[in-house]
Amino acid sequence: MSEKNIYKPIKYKLDKVVEETSLIKTFFISAKEEFEFKTGQFVEVTIDGIGEAPYTPSSSPYVKDKMEITIMKAGYVTDKMHQLKGGETLGIRGPFGKGYPIEDFYGKEVLILGGGVGLAPLRCLILTLLGEEDKFKKINICFGAKTPADFIYKDWYDELRKHKNVELLRSVDKADGSWQETEGLVTVLLEKVDINYKEAVAVVCGPPIMMKFGTFRLLEMGVKEENIYLSMEKNMSCGLGKCGHCAMGDYFVCKDGPVFTYNEIKDYPDIWI
Amino acid sequence: MKFYSVSMKQWVENLSNVASEFQIFAPILQNDFLDYELITPDNIEQIIYNTAKPTTPLKAFFFPVKENVVIDKKADKQRVIIGVPSCDLHAVNLLDKIFLDKDFLDIYYKKNRENTILIGTDCYKITDSCHCTSYGLNPYPEKNSDITLSIVEDIVILNVQTEKGEKFLEKIKDAEFKEGIAAEDKLKEKRDAVIQELDSKNKELPDAERTRKGIESSVDEVWKEYAEKCVSCGACAAICPTCHCFLLIDKENFEKVKNWDSCQYPAFERVAAGEDPLGKIYERLKNRYLCKFVHKPDMFGEIACTGCGRCIDACIGKIDKNEIILKICK
Ligand SMILES: Cc1cc2nc3c(=O)[nH]c(=O)nc-3n(C[C@H](O)[C@H](O)[C@H](O)COP(=O)(O)OP(=O)(O)OC[C@H]3O[C@@H](n4cnc5c(N)ncnc54)[C@H](O)[C@@H]3O)c2cc1C
Ligand code: SF4
Ligand code: FES
Repeated sequence: MSEKNIYKPIKYKLDKVVEETSLIKTFFISAKEEFEFKTGQFVEVTIDGIGEAPYTPSSSPYVKDKMEITIMKAGYVTDKMHQLKGGETLGIRGPFGKGYPIEDFYGKEVLILGGGVGLAPLRCLILTLLGEEDKFKKINICFGAKTPADFIYKDWYDELRKHKNVELLRSVDKADGSWQETEGLVTVLLEKVDINYKEAVAVVCGPPIMMKFGTFRLLEMGVKEENIYLSMEKNMSCGLGKCGHCAMGDYFVCKDGPVFTYNEIKDYPDIWI
Repeated sequence: MKFYSVSMKQWVENLSNVASEFQIFAPILQNDFLDYELITPDNIEQIIYNTAKPTTPLKAFFFPVKENVVIDKKADKQRVIIGVPSCDLHAVNLLDKIFLDKDFLDIYYKKNRENTILIGTDCYKITDSCHCTSYGLNPYPEKNSDITLSIVEDIVILNVQTEKGEKFLEKIKDAEFKEGIAAEDKLKEKRDAVIQELDSKNKELPDAERTRKGIESSVDEVWKEYAEKCVSCGACAAICPTCHCFLLIDKENFEKVKNWDSCQYPAFERVAAGEDPLGKIYERLKNRYLCKFVHKPDMFGEIACTGCGRCIDACIGKIDKNEIILKICK
């Protein structure tokens, strides 16, 4: 068959696996064929004979011969992912979906609100923004985790704080003795950010409950509905707008999303579940 | 759009001569069920022409129940499907938009589709559940056929619609195939009578637009009431000519099998964190109607119910789709 087969994964090598927290690991994958993807797009990763699931790369789209994916153990396939040690062959299809419309963020203050494994796609976004840091008025980052130990990418935060255009605030639901930053839900950080919410764009990614309350808080702070970008987590199989699993109202989230602005989806019931 | 007319006897004889060269499928009655069977010279006389839908929807020929979509497909004999009703032909519009989408072309669907010659036929007989005219379709082939076939007074009238159809006809046609359309007014009479019968049987039924409005303004109580009888078997989706949902199941060597799936099954939309937008039976039942009459028209400009009525016939819980629609459109 000469035409491309959309269902057939391309084989890549899993180089190594790094443990981030007890439930989250980062998988380093290297490519013979280069990865081309835009931040916010996702890939479907197959473990041979076991299963396939969608993940957003957490590494920079500027790096094309390697890709990192950070995965939380959440069920059958992700559990099998966590059993991999490195050296195995993985299958990848994609990239799928529409990414973040970075050009629309130019000249603006960008607020990034993330929690849990939601930091994975946001890392990719932030690395993308930092590639052209001067194009944005300011990059404000608010990250939350349950406890200090639950933060992934432990070495990354000091590096982020070195960028003059970046302001990073972090909170944990429950602090321990050594925690020097904020204690409380991640939304409390929004009060502390020095930003003109009415003109800012906001990107939210995290567990459903955090997405919901984060969005509501941002709306209260004055962010416009069309300036809030949400990455929707839906059950997916094909990633191609065919299998129907990710249907949400008039959208196939895999093809029309997974990134939507709040005003595109707010009228559908149950977007948060 | 060339017409040919030929006697039934000659048609059967000539079709029989090519039966081994193609895979020919046509409706045959077996234990009260009308369904497509592989045609051989032995059963060719039993083909039932010009009657309402076979049990299996046409989609099964292009989008099989299970299909390995990673290994190369070996070349099959060309398939000819005789006796496709208008409702199933209409469903191909939506299936093509989904599977032949230019962004993500499904080469397996495309191959199955290209390898098939569709001979659409008039429905002269209808069944209790038929209601195609409610949604603006006619009970005779209007689109997506390669050839249409109607029988009037033992004369088979063939109308060639595509090049593929033309090529097939070249193989079977002989001097007995006369160009032109025999008994045109008789054909029209028959068609009008069927439309009349459908319209009067279904006169209470709202059209697509009113159905949509009814669903959009419906209260959950109605869906909860009917959900009491639903056992989530997914039969309605399996026999639906437009339902296209599937699940990719992994096999060794990175192979994947595309299996029919249904939004009526539990956990169809469940995510790993446990949230499930279609967790309750009534939510799934309602979702089916929203998908058919609201979302598919918005997304693809095609209503996803062709009025074939198979879901009414297939439901184990005897949930009558049209009874629900009448209730919510009151
Ligand atoms: C666009 C997108 C990007 C994602 N990015 C990441 C990421 O970067 N890191 C990460 O850890 N997780 C990510 N997820 C979530 C991840 O895909 C699920 O956790 C994973 O599919 C769960 O599969 P499982 O077999 O372990 O769980 P099970 O509960 O055993 O799931 C069984 C099947 O249901 C489906 N399914 C279940 N839950 C989900 C879900 N939450 N999302 C999609 N399909 C599901 C899958 O097809 C899966 O095979 C993303 C999800 C989406 C939709
Ligand atoms: S619904 Fe209409 S087209 Fe379909 S089988 Fe019945 S009469 Fe024929
Ligand atoms: S995941 Fe198959 S349609 Fe979106």
